Amino acid sequence: MEKRPRSFYVLSVVFALFVLFLYGPTITIGILSFQGPEGGLTFPMRGVSLNWFHELFQQQAVGDIWGAFRRSFALGLMVMVTTVVVSVMAGLAFRKRFPGSGLLFYATIASLVIPSILISLGVGLIFNQLGLKVHWATSGFGAQLTWTLPFGLLIMFAVFNRFDRSYEEAARDQGASAWQTIRFVVLPIIAPSLIGVALFGFTLSYDEFARTLLTAGSYNTLPLEIFGMTTNVTTPVVYALGTLTTAFSLLIIGAFLLLAWVMARRRARLGSDAGKGV
Amino acid sequence: MSKAGYTRRSVLKSGAAALGASALPAPMIWAQEIKNITLRQFGTGVSNLNDVANKVKEDLGFSLEMTALDSDAVTQRAATQPGSFDIADIEYWICKKVWPTGNLQAMDTSRIQNYDRIVPIFTTGKLTPETDIAQGTAPHSVGFVEGPGSTSFADQETGWMTLIPTIYNADTLGIRPDLIGRPIDSWAELLNPEFRGKASLLDISSIGIMDMAMVCEAMGEITYGDKGNMTRDEIDKTMAIFTEAKKAGQFRAFWKTFDESVNLMASSEVVIQSMWSPAITAVKSRGIPCVYQPLKEGYRSWGGGLGLSKSLSGMELDAAYDYINWYLSGWVGGYLMRQGYYSAVPETSKDFMTENEWGYWFEGKPATDVITSPTGDKLAEVGEVRDGGSFYERMGHVACWNAVMDENQYMVRKWNEFIAS
Amino acid sequence: MKVTRETVTGWLQAAPLTVVLLGFLLAPIITIVIVSFWQATEFSIIPAFSLENYQFLFGSPVTYKVFAATFRYAFITWAMTLAIGFTVAYFLAFHIRSQTVQIALFLLCTIPFWTSNIIRMISWIPFLGRNGIANQALMSWGVIDEPLEWLLYSDFSVILAFVHLYTLFMVVPIFNTMMRIDRNLIEAARDNGASGFQTLVHVIIPLTKPGIMIGTIFVLTLVMGDFITVRFMSGSQRANVGRLISNDIGLLQYPSAAATAVVLLCTVLIMIAILLRFVNIRKEL
Repeated sequence: MEKRPRSFYVLSVVFALFVLFLYGPTITIGILSFQGPEGGLTFPMRGVSLNWFHELFQQQAVGDIWGAFRRSFALGLMVMVTTVVVSVMAGLAFRKRFPGSGLLFYATIASLVIPSILISLGVGLIFNQLGLKVHWATSGFGAQLTWTLPFGLLIMFAVFNRFDRSYEEAARDQGASAWQTIRFVVLPIIAPSLIGVALFGFTLSYDEFARTLLTAGSYNTLPLEIFGMTTNVTTPVVYALGTLTTAFSLLIIGAFLLLAWVMARRRARLGSDAGKGV
Repeated sequence: MSKAGYTRRSVLKSGAAALGASALPAPMIWAQEIKNITLRQFGTGVSNLNDVANKVKEDLGFSLEMTALDSDAVTQRAATQPGSFDIADIEYWICKKVWPTGNLQAMDTSRIQNYDRIVPIFTTGKLTPETDIAQGTAPHSVGFVEGPGSTSFADQETGWMTLIPTIYNADTLGIRPDLIGRPIDSWAELLNPEFRGKASLLDISSIGIMDMAMVCEAMGEITYGDKGNMTRDEIDKTMAIFTEAKKAGQFRAFWKTFDESVNLMASSEVVIQSMWSPAITAVKSRGIPCVYQPLKEGYRSWGGGLGLSKSLSGMELDAAYDYINWYLSGWVGGYLMRQGYYSAVPETSKDFMTENEWGYWFEGKPATDVITSPTGDKLAEVGEVRDGGSFYERMGHVACWNAVMDENQYMVRKWNEFIAS
Repeated sequence: MKVTRETVTGWLQAAPLTVVLLGFLLAPIITIVIVSFWQATEFSIIPAFSLENYQFLFGSPVTYKVFAATFRYAFITWAMTLAIGFTVAYFLAFHIRSQTVQIALFLLCTIPFWTSNIIRMISWIPFLGRNGIANQALMSWGVIDEPLEWLLYSDFSVILAFVHLYTLFMVVPIFNTMMRIDRNLIEAARDNGASGFQTLVHVIIPLTKPGIMIGTIFVLTLVMGDFITVRFMSGSQRANVGRLISNDIGLLQYPSAAATAVVLLCTVLIMIAILLRFVNIRKEL
């Protein structure tokens, strides 16, 4: 292996510090989630226990963490799927020069830059004026889409900018219809990037606060629920939730990497399947 | 929050509650259908407790869904989303803002069984016939309307109530006696330079401004005509004093949610601040000394109540009345009083408290046994006396209520200015 | 104009996006603009044309002060996230050779964001507070004798939280453009005797400009529109425009909130319009 320049080591340290910084709150949460039964949300620690992990699965004094979690999870999935579908369609559209594309593009950018609380306020006011009920799955869902779709579309731009049009041409030359080209050539090629769009969509929705604040209706999503819980004594249960979330995502990502590693080894052993006419 | 085991006391209590519930005239005809009814209640986490919802299911049969929100969201939801709730758990000063929107419906007091036993603060405004009515948005002044559809408040009892009072309390400053080390007896201490960087104030303007007024008056800087309804000039002067203190670094932070106040105090960031009674309880239950310091100028008080959405009708409305009657029948009152709040009908709560608890929380007597919270945390030892004493000593010394003033809009702008300074 | 099949397909494919934006972006904006010209009493909104909200807004010194504070937060956060983001992206793009490792490191950076922001914000207090981890560590190392007060509830903590939240929004687009730089250009620069630093300044930075611009757009808009971070991290002691708006909303002063919102929206849009003149996002991503 080529010898690493000195800058590599310096930058590695910088990167490590950056990760440490990102994990600062996570580490605090991790430590404090093992707070003893009498402890609170801040230091000092009053004993060490697993009490709060246990409490997490009991009913809280206020609020319904798991109900809110289910709603947030469902909403996250809804937003995720919609974001992927709508972004891919819009991404395909933007590859053609269609009248109004400039306007639509700037509207999307506006959607990205408009402060979240304005969307929340505006959507809330409209539903109120129209006499519609605000609900997390209608108004909340729409309000969140204005946030995830611009990201989805930008990622699609990046994807299609790297897309080699000759694949499509080849397919078309062989007599594939427009739909067949998309279905059997374009989609499989861009599929890995779609995972990125999906993850982005889910994460942005799952943690969205401001856009759901005035649009969630009768039932809270998880961020709203946690905020609501702070109007009474909040216990380290919220930290236990944070620790579990972190552990869970580490696990998923570990599994993902393991899979990638196994597949890479398999491919190396079997050799490239290019040209084998599968 | 830790759950206490099934103690003998709680078993006795639920037995008593069952008795209490059966005393209520629950029409048996819809005993089956009532199981399918769900009422949606929202409010802050202060009183939107799951224990209450569980008990409702047990005693009344229908479901109560509780949604806890922060105080801003509570106001907004009550004002703009009448379809999203059946029961609003709000404070009286919020009621003053929200009632004119017509989102809530007045309640027929003839359907409220314990109406006559409600503490007179909420009906006539006078705790006892001799006491004066405190300044600010006193609950009785926004407690009644002329008739079912009326959007303006009546100045006396009319038989149509806006909110059914549920809990209330007399608020004062919370202190850390271990870190202050000397007696505190005046609101003016909040701005004492001795506590520079270690004081805090509530960042909800309608409440914060009243704390400010208590302080300015105690300092002798301003004499108000009516603290609960200040003139622009009085608002300006009050803000000027606090802006100066803020710039000098008097405040460590301002808090907006209950929990922040607990954390500020428990982590020693702050040693003196505006605070709510159960927040003190929460700090104490962690073994940290904290006192709800009675002050010579009196208390700043607040009250909360339940309002009905205008969209409620038919069987749901009946269920809501059942719920309210149940609320006043004692179990919830006892539960809340054991956290340091007061119940609107204290007499009924007495049945759900031990003699020791009633003596400690309501009568201001020394505890004869260990005092614990409803969830089992130890709050006071044998012999301890509640800060501020008995109900009548505390509620009898209310100097003002949380208020919405005529100059509210101006005050809000000034408040924004204060925060930005 | 000839409407071709291609055009129709384009319209159809763009239709879902258009519908969402019409319903949940354009309509709310129009509503807010209309409401901003209304009047409000204590209890209700009066639909009557009035310039009162704007007159008050532009007549109040607080407005200017708060806008200035908002710009200051945005600028400092931008500078910090750019410096950190660029370095991190550079490391990932040019020093990490395996794509799997790149992805793994990226994912590592995103994990903290899966924990609700509210929880993370609460946890800064035990980290930075008087008795927090940071102060105790510094004291045990002998760096300081007394706890540092300005670690929490200050501009410092607000900006720290912003940097924490938004650096990744800078890293991703910069990394993305860096990956598109033709490695031959760097080879060529090195062959011509350029030092690492010269290559960085004369080749990489100019070529990364589009990514920097896009990251800048993300960070600026996120900071300008924030209200919750400033409130939590400053202990309610500082204000930005978002907080002004949310305070008004909390007190049911919708027209006044809407007027402030309109001014904020215009400001942000103008800033972004200027930035967009320097970069063609659609081509450069």
